[in-house]
Amino acid sequence: MFSKIPLLRALKHDRWVRPYLKRYRWTLAIAIFLGVCTFFCAGALMFTAGYLISKSATHPYNILLVYVPIVLTRAFGIGRPAFQYAERLTSHNWVLKMTSHFRKQLYDSLEPDAVFLTGKYQLGDILGLLAEDVSHIQNLYLRTIFPMMVSWGLYLIIIVGIGIISPLMALWLLLLFGLMIFAVPFWSILVNGARQVAEKKQKNELYADLTDNVMGITDWTFAGRGDAYVAAHQKHENQLVATKAAMHRFELLRDFVQQLLLLAIAISLIIWGAENFGGVHGPSANWIAAFVLAIFPLDEAFAALPAAAQETNIYTDSLVRLNRLNQPEKPAVKKLSLHGPYDFEINNLHYTYPQTDHEILKGLNLTIRQGEKIAILGRSGSGKTTLASLLRGDRTPTVGTISLNGVPTSEFGDQMAQYLGVMNQTPYLFNTSLANNIRLGDEEASDEQIWDVLERVKLKKMVERLPKGLNTMVDEAGLRFSGGERHRLALARILLKDTPIVLFDEPTVGLDPLTEQDLLDTIKEQLRGKTLIWITHHLQGIDMMDQVIFLEDGQLTMQGSPSQLEATNQHFRDLKAADQGRLH
Amino acid sequence: MIDKALFKLPGARSILKRLVGLYVLQAVLIIGQALFLTAVLVGLWHGHSWQSQGRGILLFALCFVLRQIVNWWAGSKLSRYARSAAQSLRGRLLKKVFALGPHLTQDQGTGHLVTLTLDGISNIEQYIELMFSKVLVMMIVPVVILLLSFYLNWVCALIMLAVYPLIIIFMILLGNAALDKAKTQFGVFTKLSNNFLDSLRGIDVLKYVGLSKRYSKSIFNSSERFRHSTMDVLKIAMLSTFALDFFTTLSIAILAVYLGYGLIQARLTLFPSLAILILAPEYFKPIRNFASDFHATLNGKNSFAAINKILSQPDPVEPKLALHPWSSNDDLQLQNVSFAYEHGAQIAPVNTTIHGLAKVGIVGMSGSGKTTLINMIAGFLKPRAGQFVIQGHPVAEMNLAQWRSQIIYIPQSPYVFTASLRDNVAFYTPGVSDERVKEAIHVVGLDDLVAELPDGINTMIGSGKRVLSGGQAQRIALARAFLDRKRRILIFDEPTAHLDIETELELKKRMLPLMKDRLVIFATHRLHWMHQMDYILVMNHGRLVEQGTEAALMADNGYYRQLVDQMRGGSTNVQ
Repeated sequence: MFSKIPLLRALKHDRWVRPYLKRYRWTLAIAIFLGVCTFFCAGALMFTAGYLISKSATHPYNILLVYVPIVLTRAFGIGRPAFQYAERLTSHNWVLKMTSHFRKQLYDSLEPDAVFLTGKYQLGDILGLLAEDVSHIQNLYLRTIFPMMVSWGLYLIIIVGIGIISPLMALWLLLLFGLMIFAVPFWSILVNGARQVAEKKQKNELYADLTDNVMGITDWTFAGRGDAYVAAHQKHENQLVATKAAMHRFELLRDFVQQLLLLAIAISLIIWGAENFGGVHGPSANWIAAFVLAIFPLDEAFAALPAAAQETNIYTDSLVRLNRLNQPEKPAVKKLSLHGPYDFEINNLHYTYPQTDHEILKGLNLTIRQGEKIAILGRSGSGKTTLASLLRGDRTPTVGTISLNGVPTSEFGDQMAQYLGVMNQTPYLFNTSLANNIRLGDEEASDEQIWDVLERVKLKKMVERLPKGLNTMVDEAGLRFSGGERHRLALARILLKDTPIVLFDEPTVGLDPLTEQDLLDTIKEQLRGKTLIWITHHLQGIDMMDQVIFLEDGQLTMQGSPSQLEATNQHFRDLKAADQGRLH
Repeated sequence: MIDKALFKLPGARSILKRLVGLYVLQAVLIIGQALFLTAVLVGLWHGHSWQSQGRGILLFALCFVLRQIVNWWAGSKLSRYARSAAQSLRGRLLKKVFALGPHLTQDQGTGHLVTLTLDGISNIEQYIELMFSKVLVMMIVPVVILLLSFYLNWVCALIMLAVYPLIIIFMILLGNAALDKAKTQFGVFTKLSNNFLDSLRGIDVLKYVGLSKRYSKSIFNSSERFRHSTMDVLKIAMLSTFALDFFTTLSIAILAVYLGYGLIQARLTLFPSLAILILAPEYFKPIRNFASDFHATLNGKNSFAAINKILSQPDPVEPKLALHPWSSNDDLQLQNVSFAYEHGAQIAPVNTTIHGLAKVGIVGMSGSGKTTLINMIAGFLKPRAGQFVIQGHPVAEMNLAQWRSQIIYIPQSPYVFTASLRDNVAFYTPGVSDERVKEAIHVVGLDDLVAELPDGINTMIGSGKRVLSGGQAQRIALARAFLDRKRRILIFDEPTAHLDIETELELKKRMLPLMKDRLVIFATHRLHWMHQMDYILVMNHGRLVEQGTEAALMADNGYYRQLVDQMRGGSTNVQ
């Protein structure tokens, strides 16, 4: 039966919910205890108040006879809000504590493949999605798991409490409350759960569709067809509206059924009370009102359960997605200590992406010597970037070898960062101070060292003009760095890191030629003596290179120094002429 | 209490009237339910059997069930109304978005508009439901119960009346305190909550510098700091719920104790006392229900205001012009056209004439203002001053449907819709035959792509399906231009800036034939295009510094010449 609840299926092999429930079970237990107390007080307040009034109506000769109910009424009256307050703080604290763990766990899962996460795919969106998943799991705890456990606790108390007085009545209530706590929520998952999933899917489709078309709004307006799209969108939208309407209709019906169950419980208690305590005008009849009135405040504890249960279907996706992430493993990396000069050696290198049969690199041979400046040219898709990740050791060759000083690059792991610095197309600046961003290159760096690298990348004057200088937040309102400036900041980071080899992966796409030439001049000047691997899509600044290779379809099609190629290769001359605006 | 703008929704008044009727009926049933229950309990207390109370129990059950039915009925009526109101609002919003076009999306951002259209409208739907149910119930039910309580026992009624404003005052006070606290923490808050996403986005950089493993700890620590500051705010924010609960439960306790004393002293009788005790929770229920949804109403209110603001923007009014299809004798003059951005950058007055089927190049480095100039000509931006004279008609801006219908506009990254290749290519000419589409695809050199696609030209492409390279997207835009020969004006904005040089040269071969017999306005910083231009506008720091033919500009030895020399990087290889 329970296999029909997607969440339970997703929980089977789960690393995100179950371990933490176990780890923080005591805090959870306290929060549940407080939650049960809250509702217990709510019921008990009406219970004692009902008893107090009935008892008082018998005109007891002494006020002291109702002293206990009076005190209890006040105590429960204050107890309910106090417990609730404590419960909320405890449960939120508990969930936030787990969130800290979730975030760390998510980060750790992504870290091994960090290099491939960003880049040409719009993976920014996926990262946002994963971050959202973490908050979904939060909601799963707060809105579903927690209230459910509280209601089970209450259920237990009610059944045991009544059971002591009358086992038969306890059995009957076991059934009625059971329907409220288990059957109706389950019914809700079966009927509305699927609708909720459909709703989410339709909504995501609408989101994607609308975003797609609003992004292309220029074309819609130029084509003069905006109205046609609006009509099509509304038609699409109607499906979603229909699903939502069906869900809402069911919710109204379900709430009605839930209330009928409450009515059945109330009437059962009236009759049971009359049979058990009534029949005579005497002190025992005072209990009847007490029992009947106590039941109404409990409605609040049970009413939200079906909605909470049906919501779980939405969280399932998040849970599945998070569980699908790789479990981080700690590869045993042996400690390497290389000494210069640092030479790359590439031998018969082939690379095919896992799970595809499209070979990206087809038998590459190349040597890159310490201090050499090499440009790798080629169209998009020719395998340039794949070669870069092989050089860094983020990928392992399918056939052949690629090694730094004889050690295969894939064996370096994170130690590669000591030898090879990387600047890619859109250098990421963290939302923290300028100094912190640059200090990523060397955490121990003094302010003088930072000013020094800023001067070397020609940003010193610009930073000096900023009111907060090095402590300027990178994303502070109104302050945006231009493309060229961002690259220079990234370069400062690399200079501080001071690696013997620096790899540039199409760093100048989108820069205009003059800005680009300026940046190139700075790079040439500041990285003198280091190995420079320059992946590029055009020939700006090609003359400063010692070696140029052209990749086409995974193979080397041209190789040589710029002056050699200039002298011998017509294609090279044509491309260069075009780049310099000389081509007719 | 109810947002006045809600009344302006079509049909709002009539649904409100009906709902008020239903809620009054509901209040009466609540009272009936309470009184019959009281009667039954009093009867049992007197020692009567439950069978003798059968009629009372039935009436109690009847009131209870009827109350739920009224609830159900009102709920479904209201949700139907809210749904249709939201739908019509969404329709109006979409029409407005597409009528205002790129102006609005630039101003508001695509993401924001999409969220507003989908989530924003859902928020409003919820807002309407909450306002018309919970707020209305809060204004009706407690009043009716209070009136009856005055009849039953005026002292109790006074206690109940006195507590109500107390609840509201404390909720406001504590709510504001929480808001203040949240505001003082706001900096920390946003910083820490963004910190996580920020770290994920820059995770590759961390890896490149070898810090990624150690950073995991820092994520945990900053998340823990986030927890501490959140808890600080929650401690106060939750006090307002505490106050609400405290006053309601405490006042029920006080009522019970007061009634108890009265009964002992025989001043009171059981029936009214018990009735008040049963009614008291119902009296407080509406405000508690409202408080729990208060935040949802805030979201709805904000979305409603944001959408109304967009809807109140006037539709673009077009001057009545009779533009004819662009021909070789037509002129477009720019007379002192200037522009200023909010952040300070500006375009100094531009004067030039674009004539007939000329190929006009606009050259300049980034930030020189060439894109701004192009955007004014294409009608995306309204000049701050100056005017255009098109085919002899003076106009203040080029945002004209008759102008747009003659243009093919090709930006740096043309948009590829998530649709079939065919629909993408035939976007401007939806009725065209498959043969023509295939011809266009062949002309722009996309045959290789078609060969790779499983369903040929009917394969879905675009960001959601198969992402095309920059060069392929450019070719699709060119194919659109090929198919729509009626559009005689081509406007390019940096079409090749991000392409590799070989792709650019190949594309150039395909582009040049399409430029024939058309007016071409071509902004770029790639100078080799200038050889194909008849006339060149040179932009520098927001000024039109030179204009003329390439030969004239080269001879002038001005800024253009300087650019050309710099780009050749002091190369000795002068032509």
